[in-house]
Amino acid sequence: MSKAKAYKKRLKEAARDPQISVALKRAIESYRKNVDEALKKFPHTLKLAEEVREVKERSVSRMEELTEQACEAIRQNKGKASIARTPGEALEIIEGIVGTGKLIVKGKSLTGEEIDLREHLEARGNEVYETDLGEYIIQQLGIKPMHLLAPAIHVPKEDVAKLLTRVTGKKIPPDIEVEVATVRGILRDKFFRADIGMSGANVVAADTGTLFQIENEGNIRLSTSAPPICIVLVGMEKIVPTIEDAFKVAEVTWRYAGYTVPAYVNLVSGPSKTGDIEKVITYGAHGPKEMHVIFLDAGRSKLAKDPVFHEALYCLRCGGCLYECPLFAVTAGRFGDKYFGGIGAIWTAFVTGDLTDAAPLTYSCLSCGRCKVRCPMEIDAPQMCLELRKRITQGS
Amino acid sequence: MVKRVFVSIRQRPIKKQQLVPEGLLLFRDNILTKGNIFGATSKSRWAKGLDLSSQGETIFFAGCGYQFLGEAEAILSAVRALDKRNLPWERTFGMTQFLNKRGINLGDLYGKIIHRFRREDNPLLSAIQVLQRMDLDLGYLAEDEPCCAAPLYYAGFQEEFAAQAEKTQAILKERGITKIIGMVPSCTFALRTLFPQRGKGSPVEVSHFLEIVWEKIKKGMLFRLPREATVTYHDPCILSRYLRLTEEPRQILRSIEGVVFNDVERCKGEWSTCCGGGGGFEVIFPEISQTIAANRVEELLKTGASTIVTSCPGCLIQLREGVKKLKAKEVKVMDMAQLLQSALPEG
Repeated sequence: MSKAKAYKKRLKEAARDPQISVALKRAIESYRKNVDEALKKFPHTLKLAEEVREVKERSVSRMEELTEQACEAIRQNKGKASIARTPGEALEIIEGIVGTGKLIVKGKSLTGEEIDLREHLEARGNEVYETDLGEYIIQQLGIKPMHLLAPAIHVPKEDVAKLLTRVTGKKIPPDIEVEVATVRGILRDKFFRADIGMSGANVVAADTGTLFQIENEGNIRLSTSAPPICIVLVGMEKIVPTIEDAFKVAEVTWRYAGYTVPAYVNLVSGPSKTGDIEKVITYGAHGPKEMHVIFLDAGRSKLAKDPVFHEALYCLRCGGCLYECPLFAVTAGRFGDKYFGGIGAIWTAFVTGDLTDAAPLTYSCLSCGRCKVRCPMEIDAPQMCLELRKRITQGS
Repeated sequence: MVKRVFVSIRQRPIKKQQLVPEGLLLFRDNILTKGNIFGATSKSRWAKGLDLSSQGETIFFAGCGYQFLGEAEAILSAVRALDKRNLPWERTFGMTQFLNKRGINLGDLYGKIIHRFRREDNPLLSAIQVLQRMDLDLGYLAEDEPCCAAPLYYAGFQEEFAAQAEKTQAILKERGITKIIGMVPSCTFALRTLFPQRGKGSPVEVSHFLEIVWEKIKKGMLFRLPREATVTYHDPCILSRYLRLTEEPRQILRSIEGVVFNDVERCKGEWSTCCGGGGGFEVIFPEISQTIAANRVEELLKTGASTIVTSCPGCLIQLREGVKKLKAKEVKVMDMAQLLQSALPEG
């Protein structure tokens, strides 16, 4: 079966699945309510989003230089930093640090998803735990995430109860509070026994080498601070010139993700250290002794130079567009590959795949334009989808 | 020798994977060979007997979507039925292309049947009746109406679109046309926005039907429905987000006597939800597009309205399909032109 045919079949099956549309309907309703309230409470966000758009414009055009600068800053903070040009290179670097037979706790990372990081580490004989609740459910079920921020958006509590009953061997009722407590119990011990903690980052400041991680569950702080080694994989497009810029990007990101303020924002700039005994700086106090940051290129630097499509790199991954897409509302993550929705088509064409992978996605865009109205960066994904169609017709 | 044969087989170029959906390829071929999206030989059947002049200060641009509304509705409904049964409906497009090349025109056949039985349903007839009540020097180019070629633009055939745009611009110029009233949102958008971006600008002033009507109402034209109706409005994406015409239709509805206008709560104007028929989606994913249409109809019906009014042939078809899926038999979907016609003052 051709890629396009297989994709069409998956999409149709998703659209026929009442679980997806019911779950999405609820999610869309609550997202819209939350984001409206968040923007009403902090109306300066609109102006801030304009500023962030300018920050991203300035950053993406200097991506290479900023990445070098961020690497240098991290090294000065006694962390290790490198640039991986391909997914293969990134996996090789990470494998070099991890080795085999390790226990790994992982925060949710789309960039990790992009290079199949978990599968790769598992295949090398490591035990990997996704620690984001939704991602944990997805991992245990052995299925594909359906949403950027809420990967298990389509799995109802009854199914989660069944899953946890199987995992724990004890009868778990379909009660969300009990379910959350159960996963907390399972993972608590992993956080402290883990050899390595892994995560992504939402934005990176080049001047200080600071990684910003926005979260609500607290699993990222535990993953990146409890184990002795911390590895962070992050796309090059996430880097902005200064820590002041990074604060702005972070605030706009969480607000458009539907939060007035998230429970946690972690700022990580290097390994844990103390000078409390005789003022001798010693690494690995309570947090990790080693910190590794890998910046992933994988097509981003080429995309940054594209006169039409570089705008796709401004995406903050707030997920707002997905809640406005009428197709996403009935098919969830099936409308996409590693990245979802209309913007996902562009990322597929340049970063995670090629034109043949992107073609069925770009021809799925309704070009209705509502995602652009929502997008804090005003990314014109529908227009880019049309441009992508142009490249496809020219190529065939 | 054997080896040679082997090599020559292996070297045969592998058939390139077709990345453009079949439905859009058929549209392209039809536009390029017949100058309309359906590949029909006649586009003005709807206007038979209307005695419209081909000359006029203002040209009525009917557009494929409305001229072939009946055909489109019938074909899409057939394709949807196949798609729902997981049958290879794409082949119907291939078959149509195959037959077209051999002189058998299915689009035409459909057209003849539909215009014989359901001609009076066409919103274009209503629009003409409404426009004829205004003192406009109105012309209709009938068979000579050039194609806006917008489907080429949405399918990605940008070069062909630019060439077609130039051709159309030349025809308009040659005929000395300076004012156009567009009916189909995507034709209007192409003529008003896309053409000037591609050529040397356009001397043509392009208005949408809704703008003309609202101007007249502001100047005192009155509309009154014979029986009160609760109406809601569906914004076509091209009108709301591309042409930014969101206030005019609402003002029109508020001004018609007998209309109780219940607007959608959030998903209206620039936040309106697509009917599922954008960018050729309905001929790529027929079944899913009906699901999306049903979701939109659900939103619209939350207003308590029993009549859904819109102003786009694509949306009309989609919303009707959505109503069908929801089995909301009491709900009526109509074009703004039809609503206006039924509210025309006597005389």
